[in-house]
Amino acid sequence: MDLILPYLATLTIFFFVYNILTWGLNIQFGYAGVLDFTFITFVACGAYFSGVFALGPGQKSTGFEWILGLSWPFPIALVMGALAAGLLGIVIGLIAINRLRSDYMAIVTLATGTVIYGLVSNYTPLFDGFDGLAGLQTPFSQWLNINYNQFTYLWVGFCGVVMVICWFIAQRILNSPLGRTMRAIREDQEAAEAFGKDSVRVRLIAMSMGAVLAGVGGALLMGFIGAFNPAGWTSGETFVVWAALIVGGRGNNWGGVVGSFVVAVLVNEATRYIPPIPGNATLIPTVRNMLIGASLIAVLWLRPEGIIPEARRRFYQLPLLPGRRTPAEGVGSAGS
Amino acid sequence: MPEADAFLRVEHLSHSFGGFKAVDDCTFEIPKGSISALIGPNGAGKSTAVGLIAGALKVQSGRVYFNGQDVTRLPAYKMARRGLLRTYQVSREFPLLTVMENLLVPPPGQRGESLWNALFRPSVGRRQDAALASRAVDVLETYGLLPLRDEYAGNLSGGEKRLLELARAEMADPKFMLLDEPMAGINPALIARLDGHIRRLRDQAGITFLLVEHNLDVVERICDQVVVMASGRTLAEGSMAELRQNPEVVRAYLGGGLDERAVG
Repeated sequence: MDLILPYLATLTIFFFVYNILTWGLNIQFGYAGVLDFTFITFVACGAYFSGVFALGPGQKSTGFEWILGLSWPFPIALVMGALAAGLLGIVIGLIAINRLRSDYMAIVTLATGTVIYGLVSNYTPLFDGFDGLAGLQTPFSQWLNINYNQFTYLWVGFCGVVMVICWFIAQRILNSPLGRTMRAIREDQEAAEAFGKDSVRVRLIAMSMGAVLAGVGGALLMGFIGAFNPAGWTSGETFVVWAALIVGGRGNNWGGVVGSFVVAVLVNEATRYIPPIPGNATLIPTVRNMLIGASLIAVLWLRPEGIIPEARRRFYQLPLLPGRRTPAEGVGSAGS
Repeated sequence: MPEADAFLRVEHLSHSFGGFKAVDDCTFEIPKGSISALIGPNGAGKSTAVGLIAGALKVQSGRVYFNGQDVTRLPAYKMARRGLLRTYQVSREFPLLTVMENLLVPPPGQRGESLWNALFRPSVGRRQDAALASRAVDVLETYGLLPLRDEYAGNLSGGEKRLLELARAEMADPKFMLLDEPMAGINPALIARLDGHIRRLRDQAGITFLLVEHNLDVVERICDQVVVMASGRTLAEGSMAELRQNPEVVRAYLGGGLDERAVG
């Protein structure tokens, strides 16, 4: 019991965080069709910035150096991390979305992410290079006297609250006219422009809101682990989130939940705690990646729209003006 | 100088793709409230001209005036906001949006499209949607598409997609519609319905039309004025009857078949 409960709590934290990440990518790709192949860069941005806002000042003499170091309370640092990621989303979006069509856009996001990765991991005054940030006190420890297991349970609750807020953000965008316009742009960008939609503006909103959720997820990881370095955000991590979204069902945030549970939690995180097999240390990580790839291929073959596909919006759910007759149910949806 | 009654005026428009001059010094004007046609052989540069006028392609040289203003460099979405809508040779519905949603996208001035309203004041978008949906029901009824309102637009038949194109354009309250081969690949009964809708929109909503069209029966029936293009250039302008008498037009486009009919 002493081992199982903290283990489950840890997995729950990863589940909650990956839900947020998958919804973030869903806003970018599932709603607006933006091919963001550097999603993990926004996660890292949120982690780093929440870190440097919450950590004390770094000092070169001690071997730890980073910008800011303001020792702010973690919840505020989390908001700052999310904002920083949102800003980075606009910057990368301006580079990638303006004037480029989707396939080139994907390459540019990947290239930009690689540039940022190289910069952050080599330029130590920023976030201490390859060593990364470390030594973050467990959040809330300045107010509460708790041990590490208790902190884990507390963090489950905190992540849960943050996740619910993120759910509302993602759902409200999806169900608004803004979300509908994003989906129209995803379906046919030129036609949407021919109807007066500013596709650059709308996709920039999608890019930055997705990045904000990525940043929130990154900040939650930072607060939980207390450290963050370039080994934690290699480009392969981006594709775990992508796999989760594709498997679960793009365009549907419930699909994101299923995908993050199956791919990110069951396959990617739960297997990290299996002890390595003697004599073959890389077997489990290799099998893990194969499983993610296989689940992706299986879904694309058998159910290309994902386990829970995008919901069809039925007209009689739309509120009509009072006095307007509602067409009888059953008249609609000829076939499906 | 653009004339007072010219709603759309194209002056010396030229555009090349690589070394190929698709549009070459093309000039014409469309009077307000008319239904005009742009005809010409395949490869004459009609669709390129449409793209240039609508802002989908960047104008390389020449000028476009719309509603008395120089709109030469405006991007597509700004042209649409000024009331010039275009459709495509191939239907460009939003396949994974329902028919109803396809009609809710075009209306301009949707306050629910702002991020602030989407996140913090969802009722703003909902209220406006309710009004738009009521209007869309009427429009769908007019086009006979109401039973299909919850169908994915991608599942419609070719003819239904053509009707949908016009229906959702109507939702945007345009001043000018630029239709690129609206009758392509549909049966005669549906053609009659479509041109009925075009005339209704002109008469009731005062919308000016420019159709790129190969079906000369339709052109003859509904168009007041015809512009003929060949090899990127304007060859002639006038009524269909006048153009039939123009030997250059007959040689370039109308050809033998129509010559016979014009005689007979």
